[in-house]
Amino acid sequence: MNSAIELEEFLHAAQEFVKKSDEIGDGWSIKECGDDKSKTFLKKDLYVEHTDDNNSILLKMEYIIFYNLSYGVPAFSFNIWNSSGTLLSLEDVRKMSFIQISQKDFYSVITQQEHPVFQRPYFIVHPCHTEELLATFKNKSQNIIVTFLGLITPLVKLDLPLKYGL
Amino acid sequence: MSDADNREEIIQYVPFISFVHPSFWHTLTEIKLNIDKLNETSKPIYGRFTYRDDIGAVFEVDGTSFNKVPETEHLYTSVKGTIINKNTVEEFKSIDKAALLNSVGKTIWENLKEGTWIDKPSSLLNFFIFSFADLKKFHYFYWFAFPAPSQPTVYLTRKGSCITSAFTNKQLEDLAQSYKALDDEQKCFFSIIKENDTIQVQTLAQFLRQTECHLAINAVYFVFQDPSNGVNPGWALRVFLAALLDYCPTLIGCNINVIGLRCNIFGGVENSCIFSVKIPVDVTKSDAAGWVGWERNDKGNFGPKLANMSASLDPVVLADTSSDLNIKLMKWRLVPDIDIEVMKKTKCLLLGAGTLGCQVARDLLAWGFRHITFLDNGKVSYSNPTRQVLYTHEDCLNGGKKKAEAAADNLRRILPSVVTKGIVAHIPMPGHPVGESLREETLRNIKIITEAIEEHDVIFLLLDSREARWLPTALGASYKKIVINAALGFDSYVVMRHGAADGSSTAGSAYTNAKWISGGDLGCYFCNDVTVPGNSLQDRTLDQQCTVTRPGLAAIAGALAVEILVAILQHPQRELAPAPYNLSDEGESIPGLEGVLGPVPHAIRGFLHSYQTMLPTCPKFNQCVACSVIILNNYMAEGSEFLLKVFNSGKYLDDLTGLSQWRLNAEMTEVLTLTDDDEETSDI
Repeated sequence: MNSAIELEEFLHAAQEFVKKSDEIGDGWSIKECGDDKSKTFLKKDLYVEHTDDNNSILLKMEYIIFYNLSYGVPAFSFNIWNSSGTLLSLEDVRKMSFIQISQKDFYSVITQQEHPVFQRPYFIVHPCHTEELLATFKNKSQNIIVTFLGLITPLVKLDLPLKYGL
Repeated sequence: MSDADNREEIIQYVPFISFVHPSFWHTLTEIKLNIDKLNETSKPIYGRFTYRDDIGAVFEVDGTSFNKVPETEHLYTSVKGTIINKNTVEEFKSIDKAALLNSVGKTIWENLKEGTWIDKPSSLLNFFIFSFADLKKFHYFYWFAFPAPSQPTVYLTRKGSCITSAFTNKQLEDLAQSYKALDDEQKCFFSIIKENDTIQVQTLAQFLRQTECHLAINAVYFVFQDPSNGVNPGWALRVFLAALLDYCPTLIGCNINVIGLRCNIFGGVENSCIFSVKIPVDVTKSDAAGWVGWERNDKGNFGPKLANMSASLDPVVLADTSSDLNIKLMKWRLVPDIDIEVMKKTKCLLLGAGTLGCQVARDLLAWGFRHITFLDNGKVSYSNPTRQVLYTHEDCLNGGKKKAEAAADNLRRILPSVVTKGIVAHIPMPGHPVGESLREETLRNIKIITEAIEEHDVIFLLLDSREARWLPTALGASYKKIVINAALGFDSYVVMRHGAADGSSTAGSAYTNAKWISGGDLGCYFCNDVTVPGNSLQDRTLDQQCTVTRPGLAAIAGALAVEILVAILQHPQRELAPAPYNLSDEGESIPGLEGVLGPVPHAIRGFLHSYQTMLPTCPKFNQCVACSVIILNNYMAEGSEFLLKVFNSGKYLDDLTGLSQWRLNAEMTEVLTLTDDDEETSDI
């Protein structure tokens, strides 16, 4: 159980990650929530045009990477809403093309729950396997956030530019 | 250039598309409930739009919109605005929207006339939100407006063309650099003077107040941050042109150059757009004209939009979905075949709202049951709250609340979305004679209990006496309900399911050497008894007053009662699920034994004294005083009259089922056996 990521390491990696993101214009920013350092998070939002039944609607998507205190790992969460601010349901999200998870596994990977930082409902990728997976990469990885996103992208298509790895 | 490109067209401004972040509604709700309350004076807020070349003309508000200082975001421009939130839907509907917009416009125009916008161009931008928040349903009706004077009407002599057609790369770089150096409030609208190879970025104040007017108008470019990323200019230009014409009437009749500034994420301006705007000589002034700018809704009409935020804001909905999530997680992570809906649909009637009733209700709630009815005649007394987990001290005051009602109220306080009610009724019992004076009331109670049983799918018998279980056992069998029974002794308990009503009636003997009994052929609570209920206070370990049991028993037995019900509901054969004689034999070719949650036993008897549990399985007894065919037939034929006969005399049941004769025979056998034994013993 020593493979957990310390908060300091997370914060440092987050700063470095945002620097890199600024260089390549990937749109991530780092935000703080009050004085509690453990609530520092990375955020990226983007608009997506979603088409179903020949109707095209504009949706906004927000990715949040935060520090999960109990697991001691970075955690990934996201939300999608329409122009009125109404969140898409778990079922709607499952059907969207950026989700790369089979229907069978979807519900065990993603749950909608109250976000520990924002106290509002978010879709959260369950962190139960993050630690062991990260442990494999820990010493080889230049930036733990990049490695972490590398684990997430097969599930949630994020368009992670290769430039992060260079 | 083709003729089509050169044709003059009335300028079409791309309207803003409002885009609300969920946190906006969270903050609005908080402010409304905790600060504003009934105060509906308008409040200043911030919104923002982006002039990025890859995002359309969205105008965003979020939770930080209510902050005193706007949160800045790269390539976004903050706009000062107002929110007018009405208290009632009537006020929201009845306000004259055109007049509202005009009055806002009038204020804007008066400020504009003073010329302050020249020093602070950002003040030209404006928006407001007109809203009504239904905080019971978490429905938000809202309407954005981006006020602009309807006049002047100007023409585009040419659709937007890329800035690279008129500016060199060097000039574009200079523009990007100089633009960055401008103060934030100068960035929205400024000007460029282009002479030969050089360009000079000037604030509006520099240009309009200081620059001498000998410049050729075609060397001047008016620049605005352009929310649009299409061929037409964004809405922000509209008010800018009105202000410019008002300040410089000399522009009337001219063709002017306008640049819609559009940046890429690195701040590059090469995707910006040049518009050639023709101002006709007979242009209408803005002053007297009306104001426009209400946003169209999703149907394309001028009307409010609705944000239904109940799923993410209503605490009742949140509690419901969050507790559902716990059960869904079981399905998703461990038991994929579990049926969650069946628990939500199944209606449970709890007869008795004491230690067992309270415990069962809580466990049902935890399992996702949402229809729970209590039936009890008692009141909450001072001794109850410590053991009966739904009650508190307050429920005992002033003589005590009715248990059934207090239990339902308190269950709702745990989960507001639960469908629950309390029925106050006394359960009539065999051998408790009903005199003339009690006849009416007894009939009324029978009616209430019968109707309650008919309305529910599952009947829990959680009563404190044996005889009170007789009527619901008989009625449960008659109406073919799932009946779950739990009874407590001092340190022992029994939890059992009654045989389903559809079983064969001659079951008993067929199972002599069997390894299992079909759920339809299982006995009820009375099947193993050869006495008629009527004297439970004598020499009984079970069903004495509940209050003389070890306190942990109710929690154990209540939990088992719920688990056995869930096991039944999750079994493909439901109440017909077979019960094995010996659970450790499971898998030994017993057809359909295993349900989703494993095999379902008939009964669980536990002994706290030795911490042991037994799983006895017993078939139906043909002469059972509660569930046998003869009882059901008599009830079917005579109804309440039959029930009254039973209540009036315990012996009636004995005679009807032939139990008295049966017992006589049994005693004879016993005597004979004993005699044999005695002889054998004496032989040794």
